[in-house]
Amino acid sequence: MAVQVLILILLMLALPAVAGGLCAGAYHEGKSLIFRWVSGQFLLWAGFQVISVPMILRQQSLTRLVWVFAGYAAVLALGGAALEIWRRKKEDPRAFRPERRQGKHRKHRENALLWAVFGALLAFQLAQAVLLVFDDADDAYYVSVASLAESSDAMFQRSPYAEGGMEMDYRHALAPFSIWIAFLARLSGVRTVVVAQVVLPVVLISMAYGIYYLFSRVLFPEQGGQRALFMLFTEILVLFGNYSVYTSETFLIGRSRQGKATLGSIVVPFILFLLLTLFRKLQEKEKIPAPLYVLLGAAGLTGCLCSTLGVLLASMAIGGGGLFAAVCYKRIKVLLPMLVCCVPCGGCALLYLLLK
Amino acid sequence: MWSGVSRAFLGYMGTGLIGTCYLCALVYLWLTEKRKSVRILFLYMPLSLLALFFNPLFARLVYYTAEDEIYWRVLWLLPMTVTIAYSCVCIYGELNRNRGRRFAEAAGLCMGAVIAVSGSFIYASPSFSRAENIYHVPDAVVEICDAINVPGREVMAVFPLELTQHVRQYSPVTCMPYGREMTMGKWFFLHPLKDEMEREVIDMEALVPLVREYRCHYVIFRPGQKVMGDPEDYGWIRFKEAEGYTIYRDPHEELMIPDME
Repeated sequence: MAVQVLILILLMLALPAVAGGLCAGAYHEGKSLIFRWVSGQFLLWAGFQVISVPMILRQQSLTRLVWVFAGYAAVLALGGAALEIWRRKKEDPRAFRPERRQGKHRKHRENALLWAVFGALLAFQLAQAVLLVFDDADDAYYVSVASLAESSDAMFQRSPYAEGGMEMDYRHALAPFSIWIAFLARLSGVRTVVVAQVVLPVVLISMAYGIYYLFSRVLFPEQGGQRALFMLFTEILVLFGNYSVYTSETFLIGRSRQGKATLGSIVVPFILFLLLTLFRKLQEKEKIPAPLYVLLGAAGLTGCLCSTLGVLLASMAIGGGGLFAAVCYKRIKVLLPMLVCCVPCGGCALLYLLLK
Repeated sequence: MWSGVSRAFLGYMGTGLIGTCYLCALVYLWLTEKRKSVRILFLYMPLSLLALFFNPLFARLVYYTAEDEIYWRVLWLLPMTVTIAYSCVCIYGELNRNRGRRFAEAAGLCMGAVIAVSGSFIYASPSFSRAENIYHVPDAVVEICDAINVPGREVMAVFPLELTQHVRQYSPVTCMPYGREMTMGKWFFLHPLKDEMEREVIDMEALVPLVREYRCHYVIFRPGQKVMGDPEDYGWIRFKEAEGYTIYRDPHEELMIPDME
């Protein structure tokens, strides 16, 4: 069991954090571990979408998908690690040492209290994700598809509800988030239902707060205390976010193993964070780094992986953001790369309409 | 169309109190926010999105390409949580500068309380219950599936409706003649075996031929299920009791174990 957990930690934390080194240049604080973890995971998800959809449509086995995707993940990890080593050699090594902040000890103590409250509330939510069950009938589809793929080695070919084969369900086959769960289960050896119901909520809730933290770094560039306060308010809003069953907060806490929950609570906030970074760079008349566009494209593809509606939501966010950037900053040139970022979503939409 | 769109919006907003907080945050940011990047993301984009959301042409397009039932998901693009949290911190900072730290702290606590009262505590939802095991499915499902599973092959078992949604999450090799689709109100399926299994009093005379028609190896009765006739008179074997559920094996359907064939 310890080995299985270790493999899961490597797959869900270490691998994305190393792969994220490829996109460290997208953001002024791209060296931060949280940014690398989140962006690396988006690169992995985007690759999974590109690799898995054709294989599912051609009815290939999960084993084959696991090997192909593992190869892609290894290439990303090696690339990320190599880039990181090169960057460290190029830059002054002292730049990576923690800053000394003399004379700010009192302020730090106050911040530490806020961060401690935030940490305690986060730990409470993660514990609840393990100890509580959110009864949702949709799990009978999403989790069963993952369990069936893992056990039968066939993807979207067996009925998740009852028995026997089924016709290809294109709507879900084009957004195969459940197959990613099967991939994690297959590689780690942990039972699929445990990966879906216990491991994923813990990781994805942490990731959602990681994205809120990235927002706080852009919104409050210098004030650490305000960041902690911002995180506390987001936590309160999530904890009391069940004002209707449709909110992304309800989906995050209750249904995070379903792709649509990841779309609403992780993909959309990350796209908005990337747009905020883009707007900030345009504001400061900085050059837009290519990795930022790569990440926007990856986020769009991840939206497609999570849900067929993700195609629309991701395109609307990226396209709308590009339009506002072009108009408000009078930088028409930004429109073209933003449109290119929407092309993968357009491809998925076209495929859906053709197969529907 | 219009009523569907407004129903989606009102349904998403619930009581509307957090929606009101969001509106207050938008007004505050509109009046005070100086950074253009923040204004675009928190003001211009969401307001344009709302205009689009209520546009019947756009709604018709989404209804056509996706489903009308999920139109509310477009509202996930509104950064409500981040906008409200950011406004609260800005208000706190302003009060801290102008009225002192104590006043700002009191205001911060009040804002947190207003959010808590306006929203609904997520873990108070009736959908949450304590997990019975690491698999997050009922213990009964784990025990029944472990008892009836045969290595190397699938088995067919008919379960009471309340267990069907969990069975294939835990054990994909356990097949059922019907499953979760029967519990969905929006789909209407006729299934004679389900109808018979869900009767208050199950008539063995009617059940046995249906079980054999669907080639079931096992039948699971819920605790306290009334049955007209004795299952053992029809050749069924009382296989096991699990969490109050009774498992019967119908030997009429052969169950060869691959290794022993």
